Amino acid sequence: MSAKTVSVPGARPATAPALGPERPVAWPRQSVRTLSNGLQVVLAELHTFPKVAAQLFFRSGNAAVALTAPGLAEITATVVRTGTASRPSRRIEEDLRRMGADLGTHAGADSSAISIAGLAEFSGGLLEMVGDLARNASFPAEEFERERRQKIEELRIERTTPGFLGTERLRQVLFGPHPYAIVAPTEEQVGAYTREQLADFYRRYYVPENALLLVVGDFKTDAMFEQIEKVFGSWKAPQPEVQKSPAPPKNIGRHVHLVHLPGAVQTQVLVGNLAITRRDPDWFRLTLANSIYGGAFHSRLVINIREQKGYTYSPRSGAHPLRQQGYFSVHAAVRNEVTAATLTEIFYEIDRMRSIPVTAEELDSARSYMTGVFSLGVATLDGVVGQLSNVYLERLPADYLETYREKIRALTADDVLIAARRYFDSANAQIVLVGDRAQIAEQAALFAEVTEYDAQGKQALK
Amino acid sequence: MERLHIPVEYTTLANGLRVVASPDRSAPVVTVGVYYQIGFRLEPRGRSGFAHLFEHMMFQGSENAGKMEHIRLINSSGGLLNGTTNYDITNYFESVPSNALERVLWLEADRMRALKVDDENLRNQRDVVKEEVRVNVLNQPYGGFPWLDLPPVAFRNWPNAHNFYGDFTDLDAATLEDVGSFFYTYYAPNNAVLLMLGDFEPAEGFALAKRYFEDIPAHPLPPRANVSEPAQTEERRGEVEEKFGPLPAMAIGYTAPPRGTDDWYAATILDRALHGGRSGRVYRELVLEKQIAVEADGSADTFDTNGPTQMVTRIFHKPEFTSGQTLAAFDEIIRSVQDHEIREDELDPVKVKFRADFYSMLEGGMGAHMPRFGLMHYLACFTLFDGDPQRINTILDGFLAVTPKQAQAAARKYLVPQNRAIVVRRPVANGAAR
Repeated sequence: MSAKTVSVPGARPATAPALGPERPVAWPRQSVRTLSNGLQVVLAELHTFPKVAAQLFFRSGNAAVALTAPGLAEITATVVRTGTASRPSRRIEEDLRRMGADLGTHAGADSSAISIAGLAEFSGGLLEMVGDLARNASFPAEEFERERRQKIEELRIERTTPGFLGTERLRQVLFGPHPYAIVAPTEEQVGAYTREQLADFYRRYYVPENALLLVVGDFKTDAMFEQIEKVFGSWKAPQPEVQKSPAPPKNIGRHVHLVHLPGAVQTQVLVGNLAITRRDPDWFRLTLANSIYGGAFHSRLVINIREQKGYTYSPRSGAHPLRQQGYFSVHAAVRNEVTAATLTEIFYEIDRMRSIPVTAEELDSARSYMTGVFSLGVATLDGVVGQLSNVYLERLPADYLETYREKIRALTADDVLIAARRYFDSANAQIVLVGDRAQIAEQAALFAEVTEYDAQGKQALK
Repeated sequence: MERLHIPVEYTTLANGLRVVASPDRSAPVVTVGVYYQIGFRLEPRGRSGFAHLFEHMMFQGSENAGKMEHIRLINSSGGLLNGTTNYDITNYFESVPSNALERVLWLEADRMRALKVDDENLRNQRDVVKEEVRVNVLNQPYGGFPWLDLPPVAFRNWPNAHNFYGDFTDLDAATLEDVGSFFYTYYAPNNAVLLMLGDFEPAEGFALAKRYFEDIPAHPLPPRANVSEPAQTEERRGEVEEKFGPLPAMAIGYTAPPRGTDDWYAATILDRALHGGRSGRVYRELVLEKQIAVEADGSADTFDTNGPTQMVTRIFHKPEFTSGQTLAAFDEIIRSVQDHEIREDELDPVKVKFRADFYSMLEGGMGAHMPRFGLMHYLACFTLFDGDPQRINTILDGFLAVTPKQAQAAARKYLVPQNRAIVVRRPVANGAAR
């Protein structure tokens, strides 16, 4: 193609244009109501696309029973979708497709959830489906056996996945006796579950007083409340008691945990320590410090070990806000030869954050990053659902979303330094390496005493 | 039935750059993308993986924005950015608060105009890409299954059949001269489309596009490469060793009808009847009913390919079943959609789900913080491949009009052994790590 090119002298500047004036960010108005049975309901209208997403959360997940039955909440959630008193498994799946819907039933550490999203024209049917699964799940024996087998095969695959093995080991060593130590059951434990155990978990925890129903999308609030009252109003069940968990260990000293994965051509490096929950007043400080350290593409760790040294593709750090006790972790998958070099840089950057205040430019840039990315979430259904579930599930202050940006903007270099000193715990950091022992054992020993494990999670005999 | 109308405005600059605007003032954010019509299908021979390596180089510095400057300027504007390499397109995109629109356009124009990279950048990104291949393929159970496994078995023409992530020797052989020549050949304004979505007035967006992009010189484009496949006459099979995972896996790929044909619409709906989660025939039969598999699903790259592509089924089956037994059960499903029409009471829900998935893709499609990524992606493909971004508002009609008879005809014509390839992933010694 030949095209006339037009030259416009002076039209384009050699430096990046300044930002224009900011437009206000408005989160969708939330209507909050608690039904007489204790079910908390939060509605937010979003009319950009003809879709509705409904999430019914129960504030009990795997941690609720991890010490007696690891993974029970997850398998319970899995089997919930396979049958109700009036709908066999196949009918559930067909009904979903008829409404253009996707359904997820899952449990994390702190909650179990029934999540549905489908076309707005079927919002009544979507809600009825959630109600049916929440109240009338029948746990068909043959569906349970099929799901159990699938779960076991899934676990066997996870035990060959470096990311899973690393997180499993890190959570073990950080949380010790606390239920957050357990991220997955063993095959034997899954093999020993009974259908009655699942039904019992469901009866105890899938109850209105333990629940939050969040509906976001293209509907009218009044009509939606009416529909919700119809589907959930008559639901009655006693509130479950919450057990206290044993405390995780503190100040345990730096240690290396090597998970031997024979034949690995790369090492999964993790460094972590206990931190705080989202409700902690230091949460904003910590997340800002994290974004400067390794929580963004433009962060110190990414620039150092990816863009300068080329050790890794996807280094990242993150603050994980579990409900009772959060933790901080750093991840990088690196070629075996630079395992020790990577750890050196991870700790160099941690110690630099702890000892020298960040520059004014870094601070400013990170604050803009945090506030800007936060507001990107307002423009998607998933973003709104995600933020509202944080606020209402964790019972954050009602003005959390509206004041988030001001709170981040008010933070200083001192706040970052305070957070780094409190929550980047260099001295007690636990190092987890997943890789081939022959390639990395010597490098591992440079950093602390080493304990070895096999991929089954068992400590290796020396 | 509610039908959504997406506002789309479209123009072409004097240098051939196509510009698409889709305004939506409901939230103060914009998503911007530049899509170049070059992907891994057309990378040079002896340089497998080069299109993707080159994509990395586009983040290494341009005329007025040095290394890390693109990333710093987007992140510090409150935005996120990324790029991906596909068969026939490579894209670069950003989501930012809308007050950064002009800055994003300046950056994208700067790197469309001229890259400024050196040998050290190339060495650095070669290392990064190798770690990417290790973390996604070489050090993962079922890494690259089946997207890297199937093409060399299914296809005979090198553009369609080579290792798209790249052999390490080829990555090592790449030079700065290769970078320069690839940039000159394919990264021309007349081989690209710029897309702006979200919070801005189209007139203002077009004016900014003109200001920053219009004086970037057009280049002569090479003649369209021949990516066609010789006629296939028999079933093709391959086997790949699974180093980590304990379960045998199998992928079956059927070459899809050409883009935009009646068969293409019918085969897409057929794909959604077979796959598409737990209500699809494949999952229902293999996982729920016969319980041969523990996972089975599939998909086709319907919208974003412009050359030979396959509808692919992925099956992870129990070790107590052989791959022969698994394939026989799969073939029974295929026979059933050839021998009998899929009844309307099954096909209608499939179409409802197709419409719902289409809207979800337009709305997000890349996580919670990349608004309208999917809309951008489809608009880019309709512009580059079909010459008309307005197809976004009519394309559904063709899919929703597919009849049971047409779906059956597509099954009989395309789901046949001489149009398919099968790859088996066989675990080494039933899982070395077990």
